[in-house]
Parts: sequence; structure tokens; C-alpha cells
Amino acid sequence: MSQIVIKDRIPERELMTSGHLACPGCGGALAMRLVLKAMGPQTVVVLPACCWSIIAGPFPQSSLRVPLYHTAFETGAAVASGVRAALDMRGETETKVMVWAGDGGTFDIGLQALSGAAERGEDFLYFCYDNEAYMNTGVQRSSATPWGAWTTTTPVEQPQSTAKKDMLAIMAAHRIAYAATASVGYPVDLIEKVQKAMAMRGTRFIHILAPCPPGWKFADEQSIELARLAVESRVFPLVEVEDGDRWTLTPAEAATDADAALAKYIGAQGRFRHLKPEQVEQIRRNVDERWQRMEKQASLSD
Amino acid sequence: MSEPIGTSVPPRRPATPPIAVSATTTEVNKTGAWKYIRPVYHDRVAPCNQGCPAGVDVEGYMALLREGKIDEAAELLALEHPMPAVTGRVCNHPCESGCNRGHFDGAVAIHAVERMLGDRLLAAAPPAPAAPTRTERVAVVGSGPAGLACAYHLAAMGYPVDVLEREDRAGGMLRQGIPEYRLPRDVLDAQIRRIEASGVTIHTGVQVTEATLPEIRSRYSVIFFATGAYLGRLLGVEGEELPGVWQGLDFLRRVNAGLRPPLGERVAVIGGGNTAMDCARTALRLGARPIVVYRRTRDEMPAIAEEIEDAWREGVEFVFLAAPTAFRTADGLLSGVACARMKLADAGPDGRRRPVATGESLFVQADTVLLATGEDPELEPWPEEVVRGGAVAIDEWGETASPLVFAGGDVSGDERTVARALGAGKRAAIGIDRALRRRAGVATPDTSALRWGPTGAPSVARWRDADPVLRVAPLNEVVPFEDVNTAHFQLRPRNADRHAALDAAGAPFAEVNGGLGDDVALVEAGRCFNCGVCNECELCLIFCGDVAISHSHDGGRFDIDMNFCKGCGVCAAECPRGAISMTREGL
Repeated sequence: MSQIVIKDRIPERELMTSGHLACPGCGGALAMRLVLKAMGPQTVVVLPACCWSIIAGPFPQSSLRVPLYHTAFETGAAVASGVRAALDMRGETETKVMVWAGDGGTFDIGLQALSGAAERGEDFLYFCYDNEAYMNTGVQRSSATPWGAWTTTTPVEQPQSTAKKDMLAIMAAHRIAYAATASVGYPVDLIEKVQKAMAMRGTRFIHILAPCPPGWKFADEQSIELARLAVESRVFPLVEVEDGDRWTLTPAEAATDADAALAKYIGAQGRFRHLKPEQVEQIRRNVDERWQRMEKQASLSD
Repeated sequence: MSEPIGTSVPPRRPATPPIAVSATTTEVNKTGAWKYIRPVYHDRVAPCNQGCPAGVDVEGYMALLREGKIDEAAELLALEHPMPAVTGRVCNHPCESGCNRGHFDGAVAIHAVERMLGDRLLAAAPPAPAAPTRTERVAVVGSGPAGLACAYHLAAMGYPVDVLEREDRAGGMLRQGIPEYRLPRDVLDAQIRRIEASGVTIHTGVQVTEATLPEIRSRYSVIFFATGAYLGRLLGVEGEELPGVWQGLDFLRRVNAGLRPPLGERVAVIGGGNTAMDCARTALRLGARPIVVYRRTRDEMPAIAEEIEDAWREGVEFVFLAAPTAFRTADGLLSGVACARMKLADAGPDGRRRPVATGESLFVQADTVLLATGEDPELEPWPEEVVRGGAVAIDEWGETASPLVFAGGDVSGDERTVARALGAGKRAAIGIDRALRRRAGVATPDTSALRWGPTGAPSVARWRDADPVLRVAPLNEVVPFEDVNTAHFQLRPRNADRHAALDAAGAPFAEVNGGLGDDVALVEAGRCFNCGVCNECELCLIFCGDVAISHSHDGGRFDIDMNFCKGCGVCAAECPRGAISMTREGL
């Protein structure tokens, strides 16, 4: 069969409801829906401040059919540690705990709590849905914002001048059992990674790129296409790191020209519109360099 | 008795919970109100369907094959098409020229899938003949593809149909013109037997002339003329009447009848169409050395590309950019063709580059010349008023200026292909049914909705209101390649037909193209994009971030909850086959 048929590999049960407050085309909303399909109903979600604090709905609403604990920005991993301990004390060891944090609550504000929990080996899954800036508060840069991107705090006269923090490498350096990247453009890969992580114990980290139509400035319907292009262009490679040192690159399914995909990826987004050709070329070189480094890490793990 | 005031203990206020707990889901928010554009499922038309001159639902049978429903696929094909085993072998398959997969990794080899289904129908038990439900009798003159198609579709509508064929075997140009190595006669015979089994009566050896026409008109309510085009054109150059200069079609007819006319060694074939290729390859099989003389180049040749390829592979020689100016003799015998050397100028009105003389000349030695530069219809029993431009003039549904006299196929000046003839026969069948029903005072369906796409051939199943395929809110527009989301397909190159090498000594007329074989043909069918028609792959549902799409419970495929769809358009963008459109309508 020539079409990649995936319907049989996506769990049917819906644990997210309609009527949530995500923007049209939100990658973060779809990411939650897919992750919960894999996690199943016996899950507690810990939610530090992020877009999803709004998406989940105002009091007394919730858009999840599992318990959802809203908490402060810097505390995702700490609260999850506590929830895990409380569940264990009550004997509810089968219930899974997951953190659902944005890039701000992971790369910036929640980093020490996450690092501490990972160091202690706390038993939960930590998901970072990464839309590459503080989108909910109006597109302020974070340390996940890519080099060259416009945000309201990195205007086109002075766009983001630092490289995106390598969060996966940071988590791998904690030597946790499982760290991986995933994408809403590859739902089967995403769900299989969640399922694989669920079968392990300790702190597990999955970093999901979540395209943001208003923040990245692209048309709503291109959300999945951009998620795919990010992978195909190697801007956001799909990768797994087990026990901190076994790196595996998850090959993108369609064989494509990475440079052409990069041109399309950058060209589709208003946040890169101000870039001059030499700056785009700089991005290409950075992407290429990082890819080669990952390939080397993967080959060392063979 | 009520308690005295002031003595009861006031009820305790409920304890404030330590944290705020949700009491409802977000489904109280009708976020669908945000949208200014909404998705709609529309089945659209695949380019193969529009491209098929015979009006076959190619995409429909490919979809059934994808589900493993091979017999249903064959039945759907047979509903629109009387002779798939024939066209699976000899059609110029314009369906494949339009195939969107051609822009990805090679058009689906539709002809080979059709051939597999056609052969399967021939191997199966013949269909039960349709019981005549109509009293009007129809005469079909000519048993080529146009005549047989018209008869086949009319029989399915319940008309008693007699096919009148002047030769002693049915088949028309399929039998007279197409060589056996392309269309084995057992296949043709079995295909015609199957058409007869469906309720068509064929009378061979019956010539319709001006003298016999009045009697036929009195016995039948309607006559359909599909008498073909058998008169080879002359070039109008010196020496055309010489003994060694033959009409290519006459040569093919004689060989196809089992004769083996002596050709000498070198045979010049004049022309670049399918008749020319058939002449050259047939001459090769009779032991001669054929040379095709064509006034343009290979790129402009009107013959089917595969036929040119096969001729080339078998060793036929080609002289391009040469236009015959005279046929010469030496010692009373044909010696060859004097030609003007041509070059290509700008494109002419037909879009092909015109050949113009360079002033140079060349000579092609030949013992026999076969002229294959086109054929004209015999216009003998036709009154003057129905003839226009050397062919019989007909309207969209095959009717001539003479009421209840229909015509179609090569005789009407249509493009000379089997598929066009089949389409002409089908259009005439619909036209005849419409005319007879109107005459009987019965309302007839609207013909404007029958075509596959704006320019395609009609569906007779739709005319009969017998289309078994579920179509959701169909739009009669063709899906362009840009609407196919190729991210959801893997590269799977087209499978090539199996070709037998020419066995000149043993079985020179054995079939050359072996098709794909059943298993590979099914794999090939799996390459179909199913352009424009939902096959429930569920990508719309999987990628909906608003959980607004669900399986339908009322006969459709999916429902979109407009209370919650925000109109992002991801479903339409991700649909692999362009079966979802975004619209402002209804908001």
C-alpha cells in the first residue's frame, strides 16, 4: 500500500474535550490529545503556567477527562514529584503522573525543578510542548526561541541572537532512562515514544515541537506541514536517548531534500521573514552542524 | 408542629474545598463560533475518470481493489465498459496521462489493472442476459468498439438490440486492423461472446446499403451507425498507383485474415500513427525489413508511446523528417520512395510542430510501400444533409440531423482510438434511450450531471441511476496534483509490463505485452492516490486538534461538529486526496 495508513496505530479513546481555548491550528492542543491517547485514563496531569493553563478552560471547566493540577510556573517537576509520592502512599501505583509544560516552564523557569527531579530519579513523564516562545502572554522570547526569530522582545531590528538551548542534551546529561523528541507531524512515532517511555521507570522526558500559528506567523492549516518540515529539514530531528548515552535518530519517513525542506520551513513563517539570505544560510549551517553532531552521537551508540 | 424560633441550630456551611475543582468540561464553550471558514467533505473527480474517453470509473474500481473487493471492482468496471480485456491491451490510456501520481513517482499503470480485471471477467461465468423490458428495437450497424459499446449499454437498459456486421466475424477494426500480437484473437472472441451473453444479438455478413436501409428503418425504431473508417488516404504524390504501393490498412486486414502477402525485403511504411506501427511490426513478423518514414520526429508521432517503443526494440528502422514526394520504379518494379528532407517549424493549430521542406531530398529504398497516413469513413448510405467535413455530423449524444438515426466512432470523425469509439457508443446509447423515452412521453434524467468532471465522458451507470458507489456531496471538479498531500504516500515506482521478445521463427504473432500478472496488478492498484474520494484513512480525525471530527452514524463517513470546529483547515490540508474543501458558505 502506498499510503502510510496510521489509523490502526492511534488509540481511539479521546481524553480531551472540544471547546478548549487553543487557537485554531494549535500544535500544542493536538500534542496533548495524542499524548493522552497513549497515556490512557489512569493519568494525573501536572500543569505549570503555559498556554495550556488557558487552553484547559477557566474555572470550573476542564478540557481533560483526567485529573489536571494547575500549578505555578517553576514547579512542574516538583509538584509532580509530590503527586507521585502521594499516590504511592495511597497505594495507587498504577496511576501515571505526567507534567505538561511549555518551553518557558521547561527551558527557563522550571529548569531547576526539572533538573532536581531528574537527578533524584523521580518517577514521572515530563512533556515539554515547545512553541519556541512565551506565546500565551504575547510572544516573548524564551531560551527555546531559535536564532534569528522575531518575537515581541526580539524585534526584527534585533532578532533572537542566541541559539536555541539544547534541552535534549541537558536531559540526556542527567542520564535519565529516556529522553526523546517527537512531533505532531508524526503521530505514530509520537505515540510509540510515549508508550515506550511509559514502560520504563524514573524521570522520562519527551520534547514535542508544537507549531504556533499566531506566534510563528503562518496560516492555521499549515500547522502539521510545518511540524513535518521541521523534521525533514533537520531543524527538529526526531531522536531518542536511552540512559543518557544511547542516541538513536528516528528517520523521517519521507525521503526529502533537507535543504529544500528548510527553505520551505523558513519561508512559511512570518517570524523569519526579515532574514537576509546570508542569515538563512547561517541557520542552514547551524542545523547541519547540529545534525552531524547527532549523527556522530548516534553512530557512537551503535 | 413547627420548631420555636431561635432554638434550631443553623446548618453548617459546607467546608470550602482546599482547592478549586472543575465541575464541567470545556464543551460548554461553543468555540466553533470563532471560525470564519469551515471544512466540508466533498467527493471530487479523479483526473483518470475525466481522462477516460469511455467514461470508466477508474478511481471507483481502484478504491474497491484497495479494499480487496476484486469481484466488485470488476463488476463496477463492466458497468461502464463492455471490453476491458481489449482496452487493457490496446488502449492509448489517456487516463494515465492525467494520473496525479505521474507528478510523484510515475502514473499508475491503469491499463494493466484494467487488463487484469478484464481477463478475470472473461474467466468468470458469463453474465445473465438482461431481460428486455423495452419494446423498441435498435439496429446497430457495425460491430467495432463503438457499435458493440452502444449495443451493450442498450441491452443493459432493456432494449432488444441487433448488431449488423458486414464481415463474417464481429469486431470491426479490433479484428481487421489490430494485429494479433497486440490483441490475441481468443481474447477478442471471448470478449465478444461475453457481450453477446449480456443480451446483444450479432448478425454477421449483413451489409447495410442505400438499398437495404429503408427496410431496416422499418424494422427498427432506431439505427446506430458505427461503420468505422476504412478508406486509406492517398498522399497525392507521383507513383501512388504503382503495384508495390499498398494501403497499410488493407495489408493489415489481409494479414489479420490469415493471408501472408509477399512483401520483398525492404518495406517502407509511410506515417507515424498506430496503423504505421502495426504495419511495420507486422511486416517485421513476415520476415521483411520495415522502415518507418515520418515527416516529423519521434516526439510528434501520434502512435501510442509503448507501440513506438516496442517497434524500436524489435528492430524497426525509422527515417524522421522525410516527406514522400514520389514513388519510383526500376526495371518495372518498385524501387523506393523519394522524399523531401523536412525540418520542424513552429507549432501548427493542432499544437504539434509543423514540418517544412529544407530543399534537400533523400531516397528510401523499398520493395513495398505501406501507406499509413490516416483513414476516412465510407459515407455510402448517408444522405448529404448529415455529412459534414467528410464525416457524419452528430450532436453530443450521437444523433444525426436525421431523427432517430444515430452515429458514432470513426465514422463521425472522432479521434481514431478504441476508447473514443467506446465513449461514442455509450453516448449514443444514452442518447437513444433519452430519445425513445421522450418519444414515449417519459421524463428523462438531466444529462448535465453525467460527465466525469467538466470535460469527461458520461457515466451510463449514473444515467441508469445504478451507480453503486457512495458519493458524499459530490463536486464535479477534477482534483489537481496540488490538492494531493504527498506527505502521506511512500515512493513506489510504477510496475512495468512484462514484455516477451519477438520470436520471429517460432510464434511471430504471439502476444508481446504480458501485462503485470494478477498479483503485481493488485500492488499497482494499491499505488492509486484515490484522488478526490475519501477512503476513510482518518487523517482528518487524527489531526483535528479540536476533537471535532468523529465517525458518522448516519450514512456518511465522518461528521464535523460545527459547534467546536474552529475552521483551522488542518483537516483539508492534511487530506491526502483533496476530498475536503474549506468554504465560507453556510456560516
